[in-house]
Amino acid sequence: MSFGMEPAARYLRHTLIDWFSQDDVSSARVGVVGAGAVGNEVLKCLALLGVGAIDIYDFDRIEVHNLTRSVLFRETDIGKDKATCAAERLRELDPNIKVAAYPGDFWRTLDLDAFAGYSAMICCVDNFEARIRLNLLCRLWGVSLINTGIDSRYAVVDTFPFSQSPDAGCYECGLPPSVYQRVSQRYSCGGLKKIAFIEKRIPTTVITASLAGSLAASQALRFGLPENRASRRIFADSIAGTSTSSELPQRADCPVCAQYRAPIQITRCRGGLHAALAPLAASETTAEITLPEPVIMSFQCKSCGLAQGQDKPLLWRAADHDAGLANCAGCGAEGAVEIEIRDKLAVELLAAAQQVPVPFVLSASDWGTQVFVLGRDSNNDGR
Amino acid sequence: MTDVKFIIRTADQTRKAEVEMDRSSMGSDIVQAAVDNWALPTDTDYSLVNISTGKSLVPSQLLDENFVKPGDILEVQPVLVAGT
Repeated sequence: MSFGMEPAARYLRHTLIDWFSQDDVSSARVGVVGAGAVGNEVLKCLALLGVGAIDIYDFDRIEVHNLTRSVLFRETDIGKDKATCAAERLRELDPNIKVAAYPGDFWRTLDLDAFAGYSAMICCVDNFEARIRLNLLCRLWGVSLINTGIDSRYAVVDTFPFSQSPDAGCYECGLPPSVYQRVSQRYSCGGLKKIAFIEKRIPTTVITASLAGSLAASQALRFGLPENRASRRIFADSIAGTSTSSELPQRADCPVCAQYRAPIQITRCRGGLHAALAPLAASETTAEITLPEPVIMSFQCKSCGLAQGQDKPLLWRAADHDAGLANCAGCGAEGAVEIEIRDKLAVELLAAAQQVPVPFVLSASDWGTQVFVLGRDSNNDGR
Repeated sequence: MTDVKFIIRTADQTRKAEVEMDRSSMGSDIVQAAVDNWALPTDTDYSLVNISTGKSLVPSQLLDENFVKPGDILEVQPVLVAGT
């Protein structure tokens, strides 16, 4: 039931555009990760275009400094979560569209069972880690991805048409090695977050945000067209008024494309991970399962001997812990705790685990890639 | 290996130079040379685009004849990470 104006009248001007299909737009389902400056602009465009279903993912809350770049937020919204607030504003803009808000880390809130149903995902985050994760999901699930980025002068929009070109270049294909070095600076060795790390703040304005947002929304409408089978980057200069468009080729040594080859088979572990991995455990060729993020296996204090996970792996998400874990909780010795962190596990070990704190695990070989989707409430063991 | 002569510039086009490099050089070598010679900010990451062909050069790409021809214009673009 709609409380809005008659849709046909609302979208009348759109129907006069010969290349624009309001039916296609209204039947599209788009996910937007990040409801900050660029996210606001993307969401505004998608709603005004009449995109039928929009899902908003953001873990953050609105702060006063967001208001110079966020068309959907007001002073009275400070302290509210961005996803919910943005969703409310979109419903005001067009009551005919379906908007859902998912506050929290998209890595945990995304429903992977429904993920393949997205027409496109648009990435509007402010860090490399989230971009790398969303790229991996889209590449594996075959969901077309748009990545956006801005600074105070430039806007970039990358399009990855994975739904029609599974072997198109991905986000990591074009990443320089320096990005990985920069990401690793946030972590101590092993993958634990540093206790104190000052993040560099990059100043932006609504000018580059709106430039990126409108280009991203425009590109989202153009997936599926025959001329858009290759990944591309639009790089726009808001001061000079110039832009370049370049093809993003697949890289032979890309950490994603080289490792996770087609065909990609996605299996939902409804009977538990043990049952799903049984064929792999019986196979002599599959030795290890890859986790999409590192887990803590065990730790032991070199000073007092306090230990956990020696008999049965702990399988804690490394991202939930910081380098303080290296200080012994027993004897207090600083830096005395040796921590074993891994992102590859033996099939037998993983199959025996009752809880695995990651959304999915992977088995990659020269013959293809198997993705095992776990339950959202960590796992899933049906035994 | 032979050399190839091409033009390199920054995204804002305030810096531009004709350079000659060995074809065994990689895309990342060009970026590093630009950062070093033009004192570009080192707290930023950069990618490389061949403006003449409309193709991005991946970091490990050699300056092969298929990717860089004499006289091509290569642009060093910052990798943009902000979004909020």
